[in-house]
Amino acid sequence: MKCESCNKKLATVHLTEIVDSEKKERHFCEDCAQNVTNHFPKAPSPSDILTSLINQVSPEIREMSKTTCPVCGLSYLEFRSQGRLGCPMDYNVFKKGLLPLIERMHGSSQHVGKVPANAGVEIIKKNELIQLRKELNESVEKEDYEKAAELRDKIYELSGNVEDGD
Amino acid sequence: MEIKDLSDKTGEWLRGTGKESDIVISSRIRLARNIVGFPFLSRSNLKQRKEIESLLKKTIIESNITKDISYVNLNNATSIDKLLLVERHLISKEHAEGEGDRGVAFGKSETISLMINEEDHLRVQVIRSGFELSNTWETTDEIDNILGKTLNFAFSARFGYLTACPTNVGTGMRVSVMVHLPALGMTKHIEKVFNAVGKLGLVVRGLYGEGTKVSGDLYQISNQFALGKSEKEIISIIESVIPRITSYERMARKALVLESKDQLEDRVWRSYGMLKAARMITSEEILQLLSQVRMGVNIGLIDDIEIQTLNELFVLTLPGHLQKLQGCELDSTQRNIIRASYVRKRLDGL
Repeated sequence: MKCESCNKKLATVHLTEIVDSEKKERHFCEDCAQNVTNHFPKAPSPSDILTSLINQVSPEIREMSKTTCPVCGLSYLEFRSQGRLGCPMDYNVFKKGLLPLIERMHGSSQHVGKVPANAGVEIIKKNELIQLRKELNESVEKEDYEKAAELRDKIYELSGNVEDGD
Repeated sequence: MEIKDLSDKTGEWLRGTGKESDIVISSRIRLARNIVGFPFLSRSNLKQRKEIESLLKKTIIESNITKDISYVNLNNATSIDKLLLVERHLISKEHAEGEGDRGVAFGKSETISLMINEEDHLRVQVIRSGFELSNTWETTDEIDNILGKTLNFAFSARFGYLTACPTNVGTGMRVSVMVHLPALGMTKHIEKVFNAVGKLGLVVRGLYGEGTKVSGDLYQISNQFALGKSEKEIISIIESVIPRITSYERMARKALVLESKDQLEDRVWRSYGMLKAARMITSEEILQLLSQVRMGVNIGLIDDIEIQTLNELFVLTLPGHLQKLQGCELDSTQRNIIRASYVRKRLDGL
């Protein structure tokens, strides 16, 4: 059945009007129905629904929604929609949002298991390395080879990786 | 070794040896590791993936972790080869479907498999026949230590080994024990097992891990948490649960023998007859038939077939294996015909 007002869209709103004890059936599409009567407030958009849901379920998302990792460029919202983190640094950058998640998943947020033999100084090195590699990629893309060579040397120096030159 | 050499034999974990091997098919442990200095894979471009792959491949091969190591670059592999490796449990479905340079290194016995650029840069997997978690952990730990000498793994004092998905962070460890529970399935007691296991923070999955359905009465029981408990603690939780499940299954089998012996025997022998005589068997049906016959051997009804043969048939009759063996792609009808004839040949040759 088509909307009796625009005669184009499918009628999905069906009204029964009673005027002077006379019953009258009317059929509108959603858009026209809103012009005819104010009984049908416009349905909230999917993004409105999502935002309100998010606020109810995970208030931390709103708080974290503007956070982006300076190292890998992942935003907290991207993480929440994909479920995957972008680099080790994210565990620091998104810590506030991640802690309750991790608590819920594992029932704890403190590692007690194995520790790699060469942890320590390396932990400090790692974020610097990621940063340098990102800069290296950027300078290669910009064809700034002088800077790229400089960065490459720094990366090799830091990672102690001197073999595969190119 | 080439992939085609894999298609008519199987890894050692299907031998049907080890503790409780009447019910426990295999014990598997995998560790997730990422290398310092690279973003996780979702943020790595193709060039970085290539760098990670060559660094890890080189390290693994030079570390001499296991003898006769084979390496397959999945970027160049055919879809049948990838399917075969998934069916073998040497790679995961996600790994097969991934993109960019990625691969898998595995030993001749297929006990050890090292996946490069799966969800994390590196996944170390050790899988053994039967209920053998302690052995399996020893090997896993050893490999991790050897590789950790050369590689710097992303690690934080607070969160442990850092992984792409926060469900794996901490130990990065997933322990999975594959069990065959036909009697609990038949008597509908399996739900009780699921509930009890869930309360302990463990999870039950189908044959091929996350999101796969249960078939052939084969279940994988694994830990859901990876942080806050040490590797040994996690293992000991699973080690304490499995014997309860296996004895529950044995009780259910005994009860079936006592209460409905004729129906049970009929079911088992019909299944055996079908395997020996049918001309077309679907992949769904074969799992059911093998499951019934496997239980028949366990309870002493059938004595002319080895558990190893049945364990192997669960894998060798899967679509990727049949197609590899045949050397070409097959549609499902063709596969059903070849599957039936392959099984008949294997059972006749005893």
